Amino acid sequence: MPSTDEELVARSIRGDADSFNELVLRWERPIFALAYRTIGREEDARDVCQETFLRAFRALPAFRGQAKFSSWLYRIALNLCRDWMRRQRRAPTVQAPEDVNLLELAAASKPAEPIEELVARQELSRAVERAMARLPEEQRTAIILKEYHGLTFQEIASLVGCPLSTVKTRLYQGLTILRRDLGRSGVR
Amino acid sequence: MSETVCTFGERRDETIVAYMYDDLEPAERAGFESHAARCAACRAELDDLGAVRGQLARWTPPPVAGFTFAPPAPGARVWAVLREMPAWMQVAAALLVLGVSAGAANLEIRYDRAGLSVRTGWSGPAGADESAVIAAAPWRADLAALERQLRGELRAAALPLAAAPEALGAADVDRRVRALVAESERRQQRELALRIADALREMQVQRRGDLERIDRSLGAIQDLTGMEAMRQRQMLNNLAVRVSQRQ
Repeated sequence: MPSTDEELVARSIRGDADSFNELVLRWERPIFALAYRTIGREEDARDVCQETFLRAFRALPAFRGQAKFSSWLYRIALNLCRDWMRRQRRAPTVQAPEDVNLLELAAASKPAEPIEELVARQELSRAVERAMARLPEEQRTAIILKEYHGLTFQEIASLVGCPLSTVKTRLYQGLTILRRDLGRSGVR
Repeated sequence: MSETVCTFGERRDETIVAYMYDDLEPAERAGFESHAARCAACRAELDDLGAVRGQLARWTPPPVAGFTFAPPAPGARVWAVLREMPAWMQVAAALLVLGVSAGAANLEIRYDRAGLSVRTGWSGPAGADESAVIAAAPWRADLAALERQLRGELRAAALPLAAAPEALGAADVDRRVRALVAESERRQQRELALRIADALREMQVQRRGDLERIDRSLGAIQDLTGMEAMRQRQMLNNLAVRVSQRQ
């Protein structure tokens, strides 16, 4: 049976680097996805992801388990994303290639998927990415944490430090703006 | 009968979101479902926002290249601590290290008529008999021979260089100067072209940034207008409901 996060954390605190590597393997993808969707730049998201784990490792002895390990990790990553955005002093920009790379498309295609559907899928993905990048930071964060990471409203409220009702309102407003934005760009 | 004006009340937005993400108590859920069965506006909104969630599910981030975490070495931790120190503390630490090292290395710094001299050695303080020890050292003769050899080689290498200008004719000098001038001009032109290219690139980046900012500002204005219109519509709905209830 695989170890729980808490068990791995306890072993990491005792100096077992393999246990911490196990935690990294388990959480690097969600943390990278969170950073990528929040700041919109692949390279910087990788840096944020690595820095998150480095900070977590340094702060592990002080981690008392008052929150879930994942929530603690999300908080570190979100703080780093905020720092990054503050440093950049600009809204996130999205690295969306202008042209369609057929080789890349072929590599990403599923066996039975026609190329038209694949192009449409990628176009939709880019349209969503652009629309998300235009949202205000609070609404974007609420949508990312709820939609892609499945956090409860209460967890989001405690992570971003606002009342529960505010989280719901931000989510509603963000989704409403996205609906209009995506509708305007002809995405179905 | 289906209502076209929503009569749900003030916490409608929060309830819709909580309903979509299955975060309502059973009683609240049943209440909202019975309302939505009668309210066309709520049904339409649920459909639309559900479709947006479907579109969001299609956005996948690029794959992350896995990395293995190696805990920082103890030395790295010391450097990290040092980096986080204020500048004055770093200077003080550096001076302390320097002082301790100088003491341990028996460093002797002297500034007199002969100028600045620095001497070091791991033995005890330099004494009068030290020079005698050095003079008697067996490697001293080898060192003197090496010095003589190097000086000889340097002199031999310097001779052809000194003779070269006399050997060159006026035409050669003229050709060489022209070549140098031409090379210098080419270099200047290349640098100028590079600077112009840099300036153009910066201008394009600036222009693209400005366009993005304008686009974002317009989007933000439109978003605000949209939200305001929605709020007004809801307010009108609430008023209409109250008026109809009074009648």
